[in-house]
Amino acid sequence: MTSTYSNTPLEPVFSHVSEAVLSAERAFYKLPGSAIIERYVRSSHQNDPGRTVLEIILFLLVVRTLLQSRTRADRNAKSFIEFSEKEIDELVDEWTPEPLARPLDEVEQHELDATHVVVGPSGPKPKLASTGKTALNLASQNFTNLAGNETIKEEAIKALRKYGVGSCGPAGFYGTVDVHLDLERDIAEFLGTEAAILYSQGFSTITSVIPAFCKRGDIIVADRAVSFPIQKGMQISRSTIRWFDHNDLKSLEDVLIQIEKDRKKRRGPLTRRFIVTEGIFEKDGSMVDLPKLVELKTKYKYRLILDESYSFGTVGRTGRGLTELYNVPAKKIEMLVGSVAIGLCAGGGFCAGTEFVVEHQRINGAGFVYSASMPPLLAVSGSKAIDILKNTPSLLEGLHDNVRAARAILDKVDGINIPSHPASPMIHIQLKSPGASSGGGLHPSAALVMPTKPSNPSSILPREASTWDWDVQNEELILQEVVEEALAQGVMITKSRRARGQELVEVRPSLRLSMTAGLTKKETEKAVGVVKAALQKVLSRRRV
Amino acid sequence: MPTGSSLPSPMALSRSSPSSSMFKKQQSTPQMSSAASYLSALSQADARARGSRSPTPTATPALSFSSSVTTSTEDTVLNEQEIDNDDGLALPMRAPTSEQVFSTIHTEYGHCSEEAYRYTSQHPQGTVLPEHVEQDPPYYILLSTYISYLLLIILGHCRDFFGKRLHPQYYKHLMPHDGYAPLNSDFDSFYTRRLKLRIDDCFSQPITGVAGRTIQLIDRYSTDFNYTQKFTGGHTRALNISSYNYLGFAQARGGCADVVEESLKRYGVTTCGSRLEGGSSDIHQVAEALVADFVGQEDALISSMGFATNSTVIPALVNRGCLVISDELNHASIRFGVRLSGASVRMFKHNDMNSLESLLREVISQGQPKTHRPWKKILLIVEGLYSMEGTLVNLPVIMQLKKKYKFNLFVDEAHSVGALGPNGRGVANYFGIDPRSIDILMGTFTKSFGAAGGYISGSKTLIDRLRVRGYSGAYAEAMTPPVLTQIIASMASIMGVKPPSTPRAIEDDTYRYPGPMPSSSLPQWVSLPPALTSGLEGRDRLRRLAFNSRYLHTGLVKLGFITYGHPASPIVPLLLFNPGKMNIFHRMMKDRKTPIIVVVVAYPATPLVTSRVRFCVSASHTKEDIDIVLKACDEIGDVLDLKNGIPRSERWPLEEVCARAVELANIDPSVEH
Ligand SMILES: Cc1ncc(COP(=O)(O)O)c(C=O)c1O
Repeated sequence: MTSTYSNTPLEPVFSHVSEAVLSAERAFYKLPGSAIIERYVRSSHQNDPGRTVLEIILFLLVVRTLLQSRTRADRNAKSFIEFSEKEIDELVDEWTPEPLARPLDEVEQHELDATHVVVGPSGPKPKLASTGKTALNLASQNFTNLAGNETIKEEAIKALRKYGVGSCGPAGFYGTVDVHLDLERDIAEFLGTEAAILYSQGFSTITSVIPAFCKRGDIIVADRAVSFPIQKGMQISRSTIRWFDHNDLKSLEDVLIQIEKDRKKRRGPLTRRFIVTEGIFEKDGSMVDLPKLVELKTKYKYRLILDESYSFGTVGRTGRGLTELYNVPAKKIEMLVGSVAIGLCAGGGFCAGTEFVVEHQRINGAGFVYSASMPPLLAVSGSKAIDILKNTPSLLEGLHDNVRAARAILDKVDGINIPSHPASPMIHIQLKSPGASSGGGLHPSAALVMPTKPSNPSSILPREASTWDWDVQNEELILQEVVEEALAQGVMITKSRRARGQELVEVRPSLRLSMTAGLTKKETEKAVGVVKAALQKVLSRRRV
Repeated sequence: MPTGSSLPSPMALSRSSPSSSMFKKQQSTPQMSSAASYLSALSQADARARGSRSPTPTATPALSFSSSVTTSTEDTVLNEQEIDNDDGLALPMRAPTSEQVFSTIHTEYGHCSEEAYRYTSQHPQGTVLPEHVEQDPPYYILLSTYISYLLLIILGHCRDFFGKRLHPQYYKHLMPHDGYAPLNSDFDSFYTRRLKLRIDDCFSQPITGVAGRTIQLIDRYSTDFNYTQKFTGGHTRALNISSYNYLGFAQARGGCADVVEESLKRYGVTTCGSRLEGGSSDIHQVAEALVADFVGQEDALISSMGFATNSTVIPALVNRGCLVISDELNHASIRFGVRLSGASVRMFKHNDMNSLESLLREVISQGQPKTHRPWKKILLIVEGLYSMEGTLVNLPVIMQLKKKYKFNLFVDEAHSVGALGPNGRGVANYFGIDPRSIDILMGTFTKSFGAAGGYISGSKTLIDRLRVRGYSGAYAEAMTPPVLTQIIASMASIMGVKPPSTPRAIEDDTYRYPGPMPSSSLPQWVSLPPALTSGLEGRDRLRRLAFNSRYLHTGLVKLGFITYGHPASPIVPLLLFNPGKMNIFHRMMKDRKTPIIVVVVAYPATPLVTSRVRFCVSASHTKEDIDIVLKACDEIGDVLDLKNGIPRSERWPLEEVCARAVELANIDPSVEH
């Protein structure tokens, strides 16, 4: 009752408000379609008055998000401090950024200067700028010696005269040239998949393929020693990553079982699940057991993204890669990634798979959509290279003979450890730690000798990481000495170069020898002999 | 004026089906249908030139370098067995006079010797870059655009709803099956399936041959609403106003291609491996030194893919604790690189310097989130020329801000290098700014140079750091010799080569930006024809591009269209707004008697409502080619109601636009707008 009295002074205010409401209502009814909205609100209000409030809040939220532009300053954050213009000016004056780039230190400068530079064409016996002499080449990735192939050169020149050099556009906008489609078809036929898609750089291929399929919330199970571009692809994808011990399929199975258990426990939805690994590992040349891997991924219903950058064009009777070596149909691998630059000595990379997998990438593969297609003459060279590989199994035989010959010599050298598979044409040489019996680093045998608790799948570091006793800098220095010693004897080799400090886990330094069919067995033996002598010389000097 | 009878008849409105496109070509009897008639026209022109000088501009003397070219005219035009000029593209509109000898093939690089059709790309000193205003269309257009999208979305959802129940087999790949989650859910792929698929015939059409002034399309059609495309087996030549061939270096003939052939013979196709692991060759070093000279920086680093240049270098520049300030419309490769770097990112409104400055003030004063520690580095990343908008970065203002706020500046010159500036050296050159005052200039070779890959340039300290710390050096394959050679040859021909001086005058041999390069920087085996070493042809390319860009841009505006961007930009977006107009526009352009291919872009590459056509002008186009494009736009624009720009009273009719082209191209944008 008291309220009636207290109302009196507020009377004019109320009448004003009600008038305003009325006129707003009238204006509202003038709008076309207002009747529908009104009916909707009334009926929903009748059903559940709470809902009206909820809907209004929802509506306001939508409006707010729409109005919030991407570029607006985040002034509402808790930690935001209000400054006056003068204070800001002072802060601006005070702020001194770090220099954009630190100058190279002495060691880095030396390594950069010692980078091999070839004068003229590369090949099995190129001329080097530093010495002015030719050297036997175990550094460049010219496995099947297609680099200097005359037929490929002729085809490339013909292509130049028809297509020019650049394609001048991304594939979506008139950058798809018929020869790109030809090479895609050639690769698919060569491997036995439905289709394939070309990227214009080998390195960027897998970095684009992974995020094209794996999204936030998806699960990737990856080998602990996957290569740098794979790590980067996974980083972009923002998927949940679980790791298994390097090249240890038992560990893989454990991880897969564990993930399934977790999912059942949490009753989570079915997400996309992928296994990501390499055919021949870039980091150490070890080789995955493909039949077993395919068995596991089928059993646990995972999709397989297999990076064959170093195995395509280098293993198998005609260079088709691991699928040929192990006689596993390539169709069983959902996404088979390879390098046209390494395997076919041209440029670019590819991903082979089903029609659907390929078409999906034509819209979602960042490196495909947002980059110009590869120069047509490189695509033509790739096609010709496939043609040659198919018809000249002797190329691969020669390469594999050389690999065997090299391993026969290297396996007997003391003080080093070769983690690479005996059939891998890329041979990594690591130093053995003075005290340790096992090789450490990425060698799978390290995991086998310790039947203890498994590593934590959420961390890329394996369990035995605590026992790693090698010093990156020191070993890099020793290996660099070996490289220079070998060069003095006329053999060009290289360390595995890395973006140190940027790999997810430091990689043990190694020499990387790339065998080539371009050298005869005799020459290979001679070159590897020189490497052996250089290793022995440097190591003995170090010991004393 | 120069248009008229030889121009195509009104376009066919019908959708191209394989049958119609196969027979369409037979009916017309164009001006010059055979090689014979072309030759007779040529001799007539010859006679005309010898006799009384006609008042038309044709009579001006030919390019000064013509005398040095030995190739005969037949070689440069009659490259195909039998010339089919039904489309009016194979032969020049006006036969050349006897003094005019062209060294290019007209279908690759158009013949045009009219000196009036040239312009110098340069910012008028002392003026400010006009603020870019995005012109709004009438409300009914906006409304119908929204309604179109709404309809498409509702229709798409209805089709999905019923489709899943009636034809589950078509949706199998979008649903969980056999214990696998779908690779692509129906929700994620909705846009692709229900919106993009409808206009898929505008994208990814394969071509053959050179993507030069004209392009050979491989004809295709779809019988199942674009799910699949079938090839008819035929080819269509079309005027190409879509490729990023700004300077017209997409050529299979000519001085550059000859050098590339020589390099293929010498170097082969590849150098095998990454730069740091045995894939480096002397020609990489030559090219890097040349690029550094070209852009006016101390040193440069080349990477085999433009996209990867950004995505592998940015992470080597910044990391956690650093801030990247990025224009909201920056290219995907920049975003990719920034995401890999782990640095924080803030975006500012496209090319809006006020928004940038207030952001700078905020981030510097606030420091890192939560801790408020000062940022280790702040890197501003902008593009020189935006590939969807045609806007030029406001570099003069950014340089002022840089002085005050001390951030580092990274300019992606993918589209601007070669295409802008009186010497073709990019935006810095256009605005007359010292390139060394910019920390990092990045660019690609895919566009202006007709090659592939990208570069990054800056101080020697920085580039050496990137050589060892960037990802490309250690992991990515090195650039291939033919591509490197194309870069060397095309850059050299833009710069011009200084003849070797006498050994004593050493100091004369040093290079001064942006002058010609010393001949000692070129490998001995690179022998360019005199037209290229003199720099005359390169200069001509730059000036033709500048003219064509300005002419098309102002021409479209005068016809009443809404365009975006700066007139100096070779990228000219024409706004369509309505998504339904995209494929119609595309098809109407392609089905004309002189087929023209265009690029249409829509969401997500652009904001939802501003679907557009993007023309990429090239130096290889002749003025008549631009006339053809304008005429086509004029006709189609009337049909599709696209002329929503300047009021009717201010518009010019097509004939007037074509006739007053030179005047249009010379309009000063800072006065005009
Ligand atoms: C701004 C920008 N940066 C980088 C790139 C990538 O260049 P490329 O096509 O050479 O990979 C592009 C290409 O579209 C671009 O527009």
